[in-house]
Amino acid sequence: MRLSKVSFRYRRRDPFVIQGADAELAPGDIVELTGVNGAGKSTLLRLLAGLTRPTKGTIGGRPAVVGFAPDRFPTGQPFTVAAYLRHVSRMRGGARWEPWAERLHMEHLLATPLGELSKGGGHKVGLAQALMADPGLLIMDEPFAGLDAATRAVLPDLATEVAGRGGIVVVSDHQGGLRALPALRHWTVADGGLDEPSSPAPPPVPVPDELVTVTVQVPAGELPRFLARMRGEGYPAREIEESAR
Amino acid sequence: MTALTVFRLAAYVRSHRVFQSLLLALALLAVLHSSRAPRGEEAGVLADAAVLIVPVLAWSARSLLDTEPDRQRELSAVTVGGRGRELVAGLVAALVTCGALAAVGLAAALLLGTSARPSPGVLATGVAMHGLAALTGTALGALTSRAVVRSPALSIMGLVLGFLLMLLISASPAYWLTVPLVVWMRAANDGDLVARFPELAAVSLAWCVLALTLYAWRRLRH
Repeated sequence: MRLSKVSFRYRRRDPFVIQGADAELAPGDIVELTGVNGAGKSTLLRLLAGLTRPTKGTIGGRPAVVGFAPDRFPTGQPFTVAAYLRHVSRMRGGARWEPWAERLHMEHLLATPLGELSKGGGHKVGLAQALMADPGLLIMDEPFAGLDAATRAVLPDLATEVAGRGGIVVVSDHQGGLRALPALRHWTVADGGLDEPSSPAPPPVPVPDELVTVTVQVPAGELPRFLARMRGEGYPAREIEESAR
Repeated sequence: MTALTVFRLAAYVRSHRVFQSLLLALALLAVLHSSRAPRGEEAGVLADAAVLIVPVLAWSARSLLDTEPDRQRELSAVTVGGRGRELVAGLVAALVTCGALAAVGLAAALLLGTSARPSPGVLATGVAMHGLAALTGTALGALTSRAVVRSPALSIMGLVLGFLLMLLISASPAYWLTVPLVVWMRAANDGDLVARFPELAAVSLAWCVLALTLYAWRRLRH
């Protein structure tokens, strides 16, 4: 899949939200997309999914089956979770949704009306409908937001599986949930431009027989530098959440 | 795409929005056919019924298309493999709804409005007119749906004014610029509905195709 000089603006005379984006995506790629709020990440994801046409430039070679998990699932619909997923399954030519309900820990939600779901519950429905058809291009917009810890832990494996089948995975993520993946590509969107730093991902770490977790106490001010240094050396370092300290 | 059409119809029924349109249609039909027309006016009854149900059909098409949250529309487009397919599935669902309501209208006109069985020619024309009314309602409803007109106030005004404009223009010599609703009724009362129907149907179809093309262009231009 290839983006050639892709620019996009919503209306004539509006400033460009995305400008001159060039990129190539190969089967098996997992891309983490970052950028400040309003930088144009969601617009870029919509362009990749084919929901919007570029104002200039072209996007070619998009896989036939696309899965799109939105940052906010539209829960205002008169269906239960199971009824909704059954409808999507029919639209996907009879794809099986039940295994995804199990893997995403949402079996207890199946009889719940969509309108009564929590944010995380809605998010899981969004993920299940995107994953059920074995997409060749999987796009996830902030997939870690609002999810419970057990499901958050599953997502990197799901991304790896899709990529392992030759799919492309593009994830907009502020929380670094996929940073532990060795072959992760990083894209940043800033001032309308799409950038891929030349040495983005930490070099792959040879997997030792046994992984251990250590605790290091660092002054708060030095944390970003420390994390960057550790990641630079190939260790999947991350800050433990406030509540868990 | 059929699965998406079924999904949209299911959402329309399960959200109970369908009952708003159904009640509106039943109220209109009750008033319209409160007394039977005299023998010989079957064509007039069928034409009046087909014309007056158009705004109700447009309302129901708009209501069906607006049932789906905007974000679900995007998910559906990705799911069925493109925005064009999503658009067609929505229009087919709206046309099915309008067709069902038009069929109720036609049945009411035949059972409650007429004093005698219309001739086969008039009956066939009446059925075709109700079909065209369903298509006109679908087109007018689609053009005033949220995906085209964001503001609900402007949308509902657009629907009502659109219908009134349709009546006004079709009462003028420039009736060929729109669905010639008033000409349908006049021709029925003058007794030459069957003879003029091919011309009137062609004009009506052309307007509907134009309106649906405009809708598709507005939806798919970005």
